[in-house]
Amino acid sequence: MNNREPLRTPAITRRAAMQSTGAAVLGVAAWAAVRALQWRPEPVFVAKNQRYEGALSTTIRDGLVACGFKPADFRGRRVLLKPNLVEPSRRIPHMTTHPAIIVAAAEVFRTWGASVRVGEAPGHVRDTLMALAESGVGEALDDGGLEFADLNYESVAWRRNTGRFSPLKGLYLPQSVLGADFVVSMPKMKTHHHVGMTASMKNFYGVLPGIKYGWPKNVLHHNGIPETVVDINCVLPRTLAIVDGIDCMEGDGPILGSRKSMGLVVVGPNVAAVDATVARIMGLEPERISYMKLASRAVGPIDDRSIEQRGEPWRRVASPFNILDRPYLQSLRSDHVALAT
Amino acid sequence: MNRLLPHLERLAADQRWTYRASRESSAEPAAWSALALASHGQADAAIAACTWLAGLQQRDGSVGVNAREAEPRWPTSLAILAWNAVDQTSGQQRFRTPIERAIAWSLRDQGKTAPRSPEVGHDTEIVGWSWAAATHSWLEPTCFFVLALRSTGNAQHARANDGLRMIRDRLLPDGGANYGNTVVMGQALLPHIEPTGLALLCLAGSQSVSNDERLPKSLDYLRSEVHERTAPTSLAFACLGLAAHGRRPSKATDWMIGHLERARPALSAYERSLLLLAAAQDARWAGIGPVAATYSLLQVAAT
Repeated sequence: MNNREPLRTPAITRRAAMQSTGAAVLGVAAWAAVRALQWRPEPVFVAKNQRYEGALSTTIRDGLVACGFKPADFRGRRVLLKPNLVEPSRRIPHMTTHPAIIVAAAEVFRTWGASVRVGEAPGHVRDTLMALAESGVGEALDDGGLEFADLNYESVAWRRNTGRFSPLKGLYLPQSVLGADFVVSMPKMKTHHHVGMTASMKNFYGVLPGIKYGWPKNVLHHNGIPETVVDINCVLPRTLAIVDGIDCMEGDGPILGSRKSMGLVVVGPNVAAVDATVARIMGLEPERISYMKLASRAVGPIDDRSIEQRGEPWRRVASPFNILDRPYLQSLRSDHVALAT
Repeated sequence: MNRLLPHLERLAADQRWTYRASRESSAEPAAWSALALASHGQADAAIAACTWLAGLQQRDGSVGVNAREAEPRWPTSLAILAWNAVDQTSGQQRFRTPIERAIAWSLRDQGKTAPRSPEVGHDTEIVGWSWAAATHSWLEPTCFFVLALRSTGNAQHARANDGLRMIRDRLLPDGGANYGNTVVMGQALLPHIEPTGLALLCLAGSQSVSNDERLPKSLDYLRSEVHERTAPTSLAFACLGLAAHGRRPSKATDWMIGHLERARPALSAYERSLLLLAAAQDARWAGIGPVAATYSLLQVAAT
């Protein structure tokens, strides 16, 4: 089960498209291209002037409501919050999701009657307790009475790879992920020196268990980063996104980049639409980012015309992020940003 | 009363060897449990874990991560260490056959190499061991297999030498180590305590690193980072690595006991085993039995 079924129904059916253009001509690739243009509009909420010391739970609640969620959607449901704790270091707090936004999100879902856990499989460190300590998340969870699920070492189950963008026949997922009704991606807004940027979808690399995929999860790299990002997003239970865009990372992300303060929180029910909006805010063109292009065929819309902006329009808060001086990264820059700068 | 004893007794009584996150026995916690018990001279108590590990062994000699998951197979290295420790401590050869089969598999297994790249600071052509099949070599599994080969008298094998070369190669320019990348796109990556401790454990006694300034820098890094609140597994690996170079913090055992006695967070068998293994190096505990030299079991100091 996933959230794509009720929300992603294309405005035309595959059969209708095949009939109208000729089944012999319109192959699978063409169908994918058609489908990418046919997503129902997805809402994305952007809040500005946010601070970690501020009323983040109010912002998150407002964002979820603005995107069409109701408290009843979460009553009695199991919500797994998935922050980004890839390689926490006290020296680089802007690398990982801030504890305050995790606790604030938990408060919202708990108030709405959900049972909430926080889960992560840190990608670069085997000692998860150390990762929790370095990130400050462990202390915050203790204070908030929140349970943590160490996704690196949990028992796993295999699920067929319904995305099939990579050669992997299936993916192993931890029990806490499989048992969740909602998996909430809570990434940090960051540049990424291999794929341009990382937000909600790439953050889900961190639901796969290190005990099966290693530290780092090199199995995924060998099967294609863009392809496996989309595959993971295709096999998860229903997902949504709450992005920590307050203190962000630019330059040599996702680990060693510089801090860029944006003061933003981005919320949405469709991770592809959220990430496309985040990319535009960062001055990048989603259609040029390989995994987003793939995601537009299976996860959700990235076309600006298919995204309903709630809260602040992204153009008002956009501020180009520094990216490394590599042709494959510079080519991801949005044209209008390049012209404006 | 010896404050380690109740924790050793609990470890000896364990019939499940688990990580914190799972109720399912896993190969790694079982192996560290056996090593810890053997290091404290309790080889008999370690036999249950070793027998369970032998039951996991596949036809090809490898050992998977748990009873349900035959892959990946990196715990093969730790099973070798555990079996060998028990055999050495007991003076018997109960696990000789599993060890031989596991070594044969380990010598066949290798991580992928890649052509060197100007964007990456380390030597991607050195053959080590990977976490999962058909992926690159990484620091920690390579350390585990090097220790396994050394402990079984294969210290001079070409694969052990290559592994040691890789471990040295992956030390960061300013000391310390991480999962196995050093410099990427011109920036040195971050060191972490656990892999640094493990790398230093492997490099102890190695002539090849004796004049490498990254070695003292790595030791200094660990000494500056480790303290009583350091998380249990990082603390254990740090102390194993520091002790192998004569730099063990004087309060290390007290810190470990602090973790063992603290009610929260409750320790898993995995964490308890590592703390007890690292605590076995403290001569003050010699009264609890023939504290076997952990290093002898790991065959580090002898190189």
